[in-house]
Amino acid sequence: MSWLKRKLVLVPTDFSEQSYEAIAVAKEYVDDLASVKLVHVLSPLHPADPAAIWDTLSDSDRMAKVTEFLTKKLSEIGYDGVEVVTLMGDPGTQIADYAQESAADLIVMPSHGHKGITRLLMGSVAERVVRLATCPVLILK
Amino acid sequence: MVRTLLKFKHYLYLLAIAVIFIPQVAFAQAEAEPTGFLGALEGGVQSIVDVLNLIFYFRIGGENGFPFIVLWLVVGAVFFTFRLKFINLRAFKHAIDVVRGKYDSEEDEGDVSHFQALSAALSGTVGIGNIAGVAIAIRLGGPGAAFWMTMAGFLGMSSKFAECTLAQKYRVIKPDGTVGGGPMYYLSRGLSGMGMARFGQGLAYMFAIFCAIGSLGIGNMFQSNQAFAAVSNVVPSLAGLSWLFGLIIAAVVGLVIIGGIQRIGAVAGILVPFMAVIYALACFWVILVKLPAVPAAIGTIISTAFSPEALAGGLVGVVVIGFQRAVFSNEAGLGSAAIAHSAARTDEPVREGIVALLEPFIDTIFICNLTAIVIVLTGVYADPAATELNGAQLSAASFETVISWFPYVIAVAGVLFAVSTMISWSYYGQQSWAFLFGDSTVNVYKGIFLTCAFVGAVVNLGPILEFSDIMALAMSLPNLLGCFLMSGLIASDLSDYMGRLRSGAMLPEATRQPEAVLK
Repeated sequence: MSWLKRKLVLVPTDFSEQSYEAIAVAKEYVDDLASVKLVHVLSPLHPADPAAIWDTLSDSDRMAKVTEFLTKKLSEIGYDGVEVVTLMGDPGTQIADYAQESAADLIVMPSHGHKGITRLLMGSVAERVVRLATCPVLILK
Repeated sequence: MVRTLLKFKHYLYLLAIAVIFIPQVAFAQAEAEPTGFLGALEGGVQSIVDVLNLIFYFRIGGENGFPFIVLWLVVGAVFFTFRLKFINLRAFKHAIDVVRGKYDSEEDEGDVSHFQALSAALSGTVGIGNIAGVAIAIRLGGPGAAFWMTMAGFLGMSSKFAECTLAQKYRVIKPDGTVGGGPMYYLSRGLSGMGMARFGQGLAYMFAIFCAIGSLGIGNMFQSNQAFAAVSNVVPSLAGLSWLFGLIIAAVVGLVIIGGIQRIGAVAGILVPFMAVIYALACFWVILVKLPAVPAAIGTIISTAFSPEALAGGLVGVVVIGFQRAVFSNEAGLGSAAIAHSAARTDEPVREGIVALLEPFIDTIFICNLTAIVIVLTGVYADPAATELNGAQLSAASFETVISWFPYVIAVAGVLFAVSTMISWSYYGQQSWAFLFGDSTVNVYKGIFLTCAFVGAVVNLGPILEFSDIMALAMSLPNLLGCFLMSGLIASDLSDYMGRLRSGAMLPEATRQPEAVLK
């Protein structure tokens, strides 16, 4: 059945347990863990963050730290071989853009419901990804 | 393509808000009684303010008694001063040593040095309040209010120490190396460690709500309002163009906080200390020119502190005015600056707390007092012909009697102070917003913040400012309550730290005195 398998599946993470659990689901769609990429999108630092005022923590430092953190985390939970990708900007837009650029076949992510008024006002990253992505998106409940 | 359009959608919202607001505001200004949308808004806010006033300004001890929320702040500051055995005095020299970098260690976790954290926090506290707030206090409560501001600054050093120590102790280092800290974190994490997890969580949410709203007032609308007052004071032709000023100041702040144009922030970061020095020098110059009158002026400040004029509502009235304006200026007890201090690179929470106690000293005891003495020395506040002058304009008029061109400097300094304070408070507000609604929606908050920056410059603030003032003071409710509950912890950490400091074990190897070896 390997002809049904996907070549590249993205799993966006916000460091939540649910997002790590999504890797297990993504794994079912691929032959090899190397076809899964774990994606984290960083928000730019607020200009009044002391680290931004004094320029002590650059964007590339932050990305490198996140990559290191996630690579360690992946090996702890037994997913060695999954590649880590870090991006910067609005999470929904960046994930969809990256999926298009890298010609991903599928995005797997938890829905993470906000509740009540927040949900009404803001929607969620998952909603945005569904709206913007050009590939299939699997939302886990 | 779709995505680019979506991005633009946010800016379109902002534009739409501006388009709706400008005619409304112009309309509101043309008539004495604002009608339409703003009128309804003002009416609505007024009724909320009335209810909040009943709660927070409930006067303890009858009609001329102490408003509850101010008493809360005073009690907090006095409590920590005694509980921590005058930390504001005994740690002062050590604070300066730490800021000078004597104890810095690159290996500790955190983002910036002690000095850098202090100056980041100071750019939030040193605002136009240091020029305008003092004048407002003296206008309302007479020169004696300046004495009580100083007292509030002195006692506030202890509450500042307490909150910033906790902020360091319970901060979170995120995977990207940035630091999450402040009352939201120490209320939830600290109290949960004491078996009050749900209560702590509740206080943390309460703080975040008050901070997100309060930031829009003292850190935003008040700033743009008084910055416009300072500018229109020297450029009278601008008087009818407050909407233009509002748009410009909102655009500048927007370029930094949405556009991410660091350079403006960096320029403000360099110019603000520079302006502060110029401002202080001008104060010294006025003092020098009027030197023979200085003892009398100090005498006036002290004597009217205890026998104030009737207009201030007696002794309690003047104490209340002094404390309130001081807290608006130095933020001690509100917990906001603790957010910035948590980023310091150290593994000793107490050490950053000690650095933080310099903040009320610089802001209130030093800068505010300079403004106060200039206002009292020049006597403009007492001039019957100048009774309509208040805030930044009163300060400017006071300087003008000695240095004729100084109102221009006040206008420039005022705008710079205002912009840098607004940028800092948008950070505090945004951190609180992110705590409530998550990181991905902070742009919504930025939009609200910029709209308020504009509104602050144009409308006669009245109830809207009153509302955000109450929210800002209300931050002290969850914050100080948490600090009280954890005061035992702070005290034992402090005595442990002071013990190790005295033993000399803390200095880096190189500077430590070698122990005498007997041969």
